[in-house]
Amino acid sequence: MKEWARQKAARKARIEAGSRHARGKAVAVTDLQDFLEAVLQPGDRVCLEGDNQKQADILAAALADVDPAKIHDLHMVQSGVVLPEHLDIFEKGIARRLDYSYSGPQAARIARMLFGGQIELGAVHTYLELFARYFVDLTPNIALIAAVSADADGNLYTGPNTEDTPTIVEATSFKGGLVVAQVKEIVDKVPRVDIPGDQVHFVVAAGKPFYVEPLFTRDPAAITETQILTAMLAIKGLYAPYGIRRLNHGIGFNTAAIELLLPTYGEKLGLRGKVCTHWALNPHPTLIPAIEAGWVEQVHCFGSEVGMEDYIRARSDIFFTGPDGSLRSNRAFCQTAGLYSCDMFIGSTLQIDLQGHSSTVTASRIAGFGGAPNMGSDPRGRRHPSEPWLKAGAEANPDTPAHMRRGRKLVVQIGETFGDKNVPLFVERLEALTLAEKLKLDLAPIMVYGDDVTHIVTEEGIANLLLCRDRDEREQAIRGVAGYTDIGRGRDAKMVQQLRERGAIRRPEDLGIDPLDADRRLLAARSIKDLMLASGALYAPPPQFRNW
Amino acid sequence: MSALLTETEDKPQTAWDDAASWYEASARQRVRSLLDAGSFKEFIGPEQREVSPHLRVFELPEQFDDGMIVGRGRLSGEPAFIAAQEGRFMGGAFGEVHGAKLTGLLRAARYVKSIPVLILFDTGGVRLQEANAGELAIAEIMRALIEARMAGVKVVGLIGGRAGCYGGGGLIAGCCSALAVSEQGRISVSGPEVIETNRGVEEFDSKDRALVWRTMGGKHRRLLGGADAFTSDTIQSFRDIALHLIRSAPGFGMDVLKAEQARLGERLERFSSCADALDIWKAEGVPDAEAVPAMPAEDFIAVANKVREPRYDAR
Repeated sequence: MKEWARQKAARKARIEAGSRHARGKAVAVTDLQDFLEAVLQPGDRVCLEGDNQKQADILAAALADVDPAKIHDLHMVQSGVVLPEHLDIFEKGIARRLDYSYSGPQAARIARMLFGGQIELGAVHTYLELFARYFVDLTPNIALIAAVSADADGNLYTGPNTEDTPTIVEATSFKGGLVVAQVKEIVDKVPRVDIPGDQVHFVVAAGKPFYVEPLFTRDPAAITETQILTAMLAIKGLYAPYGIRRLNHGIGFNTAAIELLLPTYGEKLGLRGKVCTHWALNPHPTLIPAIEAGWVEQVHCFGSEVGMEDYIRARSDIFFTGPDGSLRSNRAFCQTAGLYSCDMFIGSTLQIDLQGHSSTVTASRIAGFGGAPNMGSDPRGRRHPSEPWLKAGAEANPDTPAHMRRGRKLVVQIGETFGDKNVPLFVERLEALTLAEKLKLDLAPIMVYGDDVTHIVTEEGIANLLLCRDRDEREQAIRGVAGYTDIGRGRDAKMVQQLRERGAIRRPEDLGIDPLDADRRLLAARSIKDLMLASGALYAPPPQFRNW
Repeated sequence: MSALLTETEDKPQTAWDDAASWYEASARQRVRSLLDAGSFKEFIGPEQREVSPHLRVFELPEQFDDGMIVGRGRLSGEPAFIAAQEGRFMGGAFGEVHGAKLTGLLRAARYVKSIPVLILFDTGGVRLQEANAGELAIAEIMRALIEARMAGVKVVGLIGGRAGCYGGGGLIAGCCSALAVSEQGRISVSGPEVIETNRGVEEFDSKDRALVWRTMGGKHRRLLGGADAFTSDTIQSFRDIALHLIRSAPGFGMDVLKAEQARLGERLERFSSCADALDIWKAEGVPDAEAVPAMPAEDFIAVANKVREPRYDAR
């Protein structure tokens, strides 16, 4: 007789084992280790919630304390490998296999452990891919998640940092898995229900909020005049002619400069209301002046940002907020929005090669992908037209009949020819290839593939790859904006000149931009304090960013 | 026509130039906008290429003025000597040439006697790559400064740059006839990271920037009496306060030194049990001490003047 409900029975057994260490759904922090040893089994597939922002830090620490003789060979399926504990569990033999997406702060250690064979790597994903696989072949047996508060029934309030939680819970709870949440406190009534209690099996009151990294705060004081020049080029040379209204920005200083130039330089160009009205974006503090000046109609967020809570609450016409007034973010929905509903992605990178492939991998650091490849790719399943999408498509395929021609999403890489510590942005060969050989990976970790990139912006100008007709033209267009790097100096001057005449390369002077106008006085805010003042004192920056 | 006016004609001034920020400006912009238009004459300018003899040993870039601009000009019609550190070159740090230029300026002031000196500090202290020469320079500058003051010269320090005024710069500032500081300006000897490294994060968390500013920042220095005047961040207000301090700063002699000793003794007695700047502000009778960091400059100046009248008998 075939059994058809073994997963339900297994969950019932886990709940019974866990209940011996709980009162109702509530587990005490001091009992966490025994509790986890009771509900986990060797070989379980576990999602330990954590992305580039929020972290289930108490549950991570408890998992790292379980006895490896009892719990071992776990298969971790999680967005972020960010806390030291996320890797400690591999060192201790508690976990063995890893499928993940992002590993910013642990990039160097994860590389060492992969080389040393301490981690068996499944794959490095984009956020959307990993979420997708939660519903197909990487469904968790146990999810260890984080929220702000819970009630006795397990209803969860996530506050502004909802992020990955609904996706993880959906995949786990509806497929026989067990959901354990850490919260700051258990309350009589939660401010709003982000996760219904019948999907949550146990709750741990940690007594303190989960950790959140202020990853999207860029101090205007650190923006250079070269970055301002790249921002002017992007606004006048891309945003204006394509009429980019729906977009996503990366987190670098170049795009922070664009945000801060909208109310000054953008206003002077008469672009308010014509560009940058709808965003898939975290609540960047550097967007405050543009919001206040009436540029922005709405913003949907992957997550929140530390210190922006009160500002968002007071600007509910702009942001998505709940009945409690605070932000409702959702990484899976916002990634989807960024992929399908935005006409442009623009962001910085560490290395670009001669075909426009880019990567943030260096030989000793594996930072993962996060969401950038979802934003920075042309969605082949897109069917709705928009002006910038159609215009880009026409530039790429002028000979195809209009009714049969796909549009193109603008995927823009922006940076200085020499980046941080004077390291050249342009390279013959990506270090990602060296890494793939060393680790015997099937795929090199490419952040944005060259065939998705449409433009490259440096202080030397804009390379429009849509107008390049073959490999050679592409290579020379890239060399043409690579300045005094080895790649730039290896250009074919005659071909670069021809590309410039065709508009495939546009220099600042071709756009009527005087590089001497790139001045910090153009920034709508020049310090974190200016941002706080622009917000009407609603933005409360975290202590490490204050300068007063 | 003066150089400055010519430049202004080349590039029309836009609205935001009226309140140009001291913090954002380069040392040369500060000097030119602080002094009367076109009056600045530089001594040992970049064209003479008096660069550091040490940096090339470390394959570090040099700057033709070594990050120190010295010269003379006019302030509201009256002659003034001026020295300005470029905080964006090596963090405004003192090296051999950098220091010697200031020493020379102070010695010239002592010789002339009647012309005041403005020092526009923007420094992290001594340049590590030329540590011995830099430390010697600090000592020489302090001696030259005191000798200038003994000759009757007023030496006014202005602090509001990115690098603040740290290390030997803090010591030199302590020797000046008067100091003006903006909110962004910080005055101290050991920097936040140095304190944390030596005494632990429990003693001083250098990443807690609110703590850094309320311990070393301009508002606290004004309330504690370490700076004689507080000013907003515009070049215009630095100019106004410089004029005011040149007029009101004390001379130099035994009575001024005794008054300074008494002032420091009293400060130690009153505040030695305070664990945080906030406690000091409360003890000083600041009505809403917690609100001080966020207070706009004009409001703060009013509060500070009420709590602690500026006094010009000590230094």
